[in-house]
Amino acid sequence: MVGYLVFLAISTGIAALFSLGLNLQWGYTGLINFGHVAFMTVGAYTTVLLALKGVPLIIAVPLGAGLAALLGLLIGLSTLRLREDYLAIVTIGVSEVIRLIVLNEEWLTRGTFGVQGFPLPLATWSPNLLMRLMMIALLTLIAGLTFWRMWQWFSKELQQGKTENRFPVGSLILGMASSLLGLAVYVAGVMALYDYTYKAGLMVLLLLVLTVIFWQMERLARSPWGRVLKAIREDEEVAKALGKNVFWYKLQSLMLGGAIAGIAGSFYAWQQTSIYADDFIPLTTFEAWTIVVLGGAGNNVGTVLGAIIFWAYNTVTRFVLPALLPFDDARLGAFRVMVIGLLLMVLMMARPQGILGKKEELTLGR
Amino acid sequence: MLAAYGLGKSFGGLRAVDDAKLEVAQGSITGLIGPNGAGKTTLFNLLSNFIRSDRGRVIFDGEPIQHLQPHQIAQMGMVRTFQVARVLSRLSVMENMLLGAQKQTGENFWNVWLQPKQVIEEEKQQRERAEAILESVGLAHMAGAYAGALSGGQRKLLEMARALMTDPKLILLDEPAAGVNPTLINQICDRIVTWNREGMTFLIIEHNMDVIMSLCDRVWVLAEGRNLADGTPAEIQQNAQVLEAYLG
Ligand SMILES: Nc1ncnc2c1ncn2[C@@H]1O[C@H](COP(=O)(O)OP(=O)(O)OP(=O)(O)O)[C@@H](O)[C@H]1O
Ligand SMILES: [Mg+2]
Repeated sequence: MVGYLVFLAISTGIAALFSLGLNLQWGYTGLINFGHVAFMTVGAYTTVLLALKGVPLIIAVPLGAGLAALLGLLIGLSTLRLREDYLAIVTIGVSEVIRLIVLNEEWLTRGTFGVQGFPLPLATWSPNLLMRLMMIALLTLIAGLTFWRMWQWFSKELQQGKTENRFPVGSLILGMASSLLGLAVYVAGVMALYDYTYKAGLMVLLLLVLTVIFWQMERLARSPWGRVLKAIREDEEVAKALGKNVFWYKLQSLMLGGAIAGIAGSFYAWQQTSIYADDFIPLTTFEAWTIVVLGGAGNNVGTVLGAIIFWAYNTVTRFVLPALLPFDDARLGAFRVMVIGLLLMVLMMARPQGILGKKEELTLGR
Repeated sequence: MLAAYGLGKSFGGLRAVDDAKLEVAQGSITGLIGPNGAGKTTLFNLLSNFIRSDRGRVIFDGEPIQHLQPHQIAQMGMVRTFQVARVLSRLSVMENMLLGAQKQTGENFWNVWLQPKQVIEEEKQQRERAEAILESVGLAHMAGAYAGALSGGQRKLLEMARALMTDPKLILLDEPAAGVNPTLINQICDRIVTWNREGMTFLIIEHNMDVIMSLCDRVWVLAEGRNLADGTPAEIQQNAQVLEAYLG
């Protein structure tokens, strides 16, 4: 149970990180990236292959992120001057090309055999009690920050509810559910850290990276730099008319979002401890789209929440559905994807702006 | 300040702008008029390079600019507005305004981290400037609202105010009075005169002849993409060719 909760926390963290990159590109800048998984592939393979050559992880990860950003630069340079739908087509193509390269260039990536046995962070480390307690303190700090942030959000909802004379029931349920889930993960994390395992260490590392990146993304979103991105999303001709170098900002958004996905790739590799070309199929991209749309595009909190809901759904259906339905595994898998599609459709009809999106924004004219 | 010679642009077989000439003197308020479809908006697009011209030269502030990107031209101090006002719907009116400010430290990715104090300081200053300009066009009470919630006339005002935030040398207004109520039109005209006295040059497309006649030092007339006439408002009013182009 503890092990599964740690696994859940890591998976959610990776999905959240990965989707934050897409949220920057799509949610803030309006770039349609249907090949987000390509950045993750580049990040994952660069990290593990360099690590196998003896490059320290602290260098290999930034290099992976850097190469992912470079891929973003190349895609951007070749398509951003064209009409915007080209980006969608080219990104989906590039992600498949990258996967096929990984599959076929066996001298580099070992093809279908995948890469195993690469160095992992904190794997051979056996921390003493003090170190473990310090990591628990760190986890507590992150959990505290998260709860504080959530409380802030909820009291704002409450305020708004008061002015409109209604109690935000939906927000309360949402807040309670994610609080409970967060609490369970936190307790499991503390237990896992106390009897230190590799996965527990990885979880703390990931949550730390996620927190820092999330915080910096929020900061960027509120900065004048982020304002230019949002302006481009709304109407790039206006941004041009006001002297903003739209092309360059789009490139930056594509590169930064790509780099973040690259880092998510490193963590993915470390969680799996072996990677295969078939891990990086287009479905991964569409999961990120689901998460971003679910939470509300252009909303970092929403994106993280989307990742939590996505994985909670994944877990619940994995354990509950087999008990209810007489399907075999393959059918169950397909059924789960079908249900998530259905849920997404229902959500889009009931709440097209996403869970945390602002309703008012939908009624605005162009 | 701005001069264009021999500008031409065809859309398919249609010569929207054909060998057009235009001069805007520094410190002036220059008018550009012509019947619907005369090519006025297209000429604006050519001047600001939103559309590349087929031929011709554009000189701004003594330098040829027809090879520059639209944003570079805006950075040089020539900013344009759109005939159908374009606002950034899901940003607030204030954010729309702040976007107009030029040379913002915080618009550089690295500076967000490297010079946070400077960024905050500039934001504060720009916010004050924006408030003053919004006040002058009567939109101060809407500062916190989504720009997408504004009416058509308010959008025109916001667009003009936003262009002013760039602190331009020359501002091209495409029908600033269209869809704005008469009292407000007078107020805007007063504003334009004030800003003009402070040193800003204007080039204005407008169908409202009262506006043109009361504001402009010089008027250029375009018909079917070609220059028809140019002169003082009084001369233009007397010009038989112009009257004919408008009436028949
Ligand atoms: N992008 C375009 N593609 C094709 N034709 C165009 C384009 N833009 C303008 N035109 C045509 O060029 C001609 C001039 O249009 P323009 O918008 O410049 O006129 P205008 O003088 O601004 O008119 P109005 O006073 O109605 O705004 C019109 O016949 C128009 O249909
Ligand atoms: Mg026009």
